[in-house]
Amino acid sequence: MGFLTMLKKLRQKEKEMRILMLGLDNAGKTTILKRFNGEPIDTISPTLGFNIKTLEHKGYKLNIWDVGGQKSLRSYWKNYFESTDGVAWVVDSADARRLAACAHELHALLREERLASATLLVFANKSDLPGALTLQEIREALDLDSIKSHHWRVVRCSAVTGENLLEGMDWMLDDIASRIFALD
Amino acid sequence: MTDKNSVLERLSRRDAQRLEKLQKAHKAREDIDPTNEKEDYFTDAFKLKSDYVDSLLSQIPTLETTALSGHFDIIKKEINEMHKYIVTSSLFLKEYNMRKSLSIVQDLQNKCYELEEKYVPRKRFGFSKKKLAKPEEQKSSVMDEIDSIEKKYASKWDEKLFGFDNKENEVLLLDKEDLFQRDVSLRHLKNCTVFLKGAMGTLHITDLENCLVLSGPVMTSVFVERCLNSKLVVACQQLRMHTSSNCDIYLHVTCKGIIEDCTNIRTAPYSLHYEELDKHYELSALDRSINHWDTLDDFNWLAPNVPSPNWSILDKTKRVTDWEEHKTKIPS
Repeated sequence: MGFLTMLKKLRQKEKEMRILMLGLDNAGKTTILKRFNGEPIDTISPTLGFNIKTLEHKGYKLNIWDVGGQKSLRSYWKNYFESTDGVAWVVDSADARRLAACAHELHALLREERLASATLLVFANKSDLPGALTLQEIREALDLDSIKSHHWRVVRCSAVTGENLLEGMDWMLDDIASRIFALD
Repeated sequence: MTDKNSVLERLSRRDAQRLEKLQKAHKAREDIDPTNEKEDYFTDAFKLKSDYVDSLLSQIPTLETTALSGHFDIIKKEINEMHKYIVTSSLFLKEYNMRKSLSIVQDLQNKCYELEEKYVPRKRFGFSKKKLAKPEEQKSSVMDEIDSIEKKYASKWDEKLFGFDNKENEVLLLDKEDLFQRDVSLRHLKNCTVFLKGAMGTLHITDLENCLVLSGPVMTSVFVERCLNSKLVVACQQLRMHTSSNCDIYLHVTCKGIIEDCTNIRTAPYSLHYEELDKHYELSALDRSINHWDTLDDFNWLAPNVPSPNWSILDKTKRVTDWEEHKTKIPS
């Protein structure tokens, strides 16, 4: 048994995944994380730095990193890229003004070598708000269909109501699992 | 003496033999070392693959147009496979080999896209056709392309905008029925007074100059960008303020307010009153007993213990306590 196989086996045993939550500021990254973890969401401050949560879901051990999206913090995103299995890109569906900036940041992120093998899940968050864009509009605005380099999916969700959060996360976990744990 | 010499000779011969044996064993171990073997194997397999993709790419100019899209699919799949192979082999590959292989894949991919661009002209997004297409646009740089896309999007999403845009010297009012749970925008306003009388979902304030904004409770966040010489009276869960200066904020914030790239911001407690305010507070679910108006986080000032020079607390004597007369006139 080679070294590679041994490491794979080890990792498979622990079923550990590293997930990075990114997106513009005010998208709802921390709210999604807290919601996912069953914590109260009405006392969230803008993230100065990052939050990390380790939780168990579907038999996997998830390390979820939620990194602040303020402009001054975006240049530090790259420090979190190493060995990331999945990227959850969070979009504020009600904020049409900044979708162009959002698309720009996302596509810059996808060109990052260290994220080359990561699965991409786009959370179209705040979809419960009146005036929120439709899934098709988000897809267009972020030019998602041009993404060929990564496995991706976009889901409409709401961190406040909890709608579709699990469905999205489950898809990402399955996709990651089929990639990193299937090789034996 | 001869005895001694022969013993020494025998010993040194034994030593040489031992060393030789050791070296052999060492070499043998190296040969069966799986890491080494795999790296060689990888290099060979990778070379085969890349040659194959190269040959596929070189076939393109000779192919019929109808066969091209399928051919490109095969190439992309192969390139993807190569990439996957590198990534899965990353555990035993040396950094240098890894980088080299990745750059080979990158080159192939670029070549593939270049050829695809050349032989299979792709359609851009559908709605771009509706706009007036300027012929010289095609020659502009990538940055300009991003800019133009942004502009197209901006105008497209403008239809979705709810609030006020492009006003000067006006008194503007929005009432509760319209506002509830909405994402409200105030944009490009100059010398205006805006009264938002109701509970809303989010409030976006962009490009304001010399304005007064009086706002009821905002359920989530107030987002401020590029505001000059203005007064904002807002209640919210979060305040995020960017690239603004010389502003007074009369604030009720239940979580935290932050500023980024701002100067000369002054804060005071929220002091707006109107008849249905209590009801709107209830609708917004904001906790009236918690207010962190006097502790802003400055993202450009991370030194603990030293207060940020970019914001301060507005002197009590300079605060406006009654907004009644301001509600109906434009700011001086």
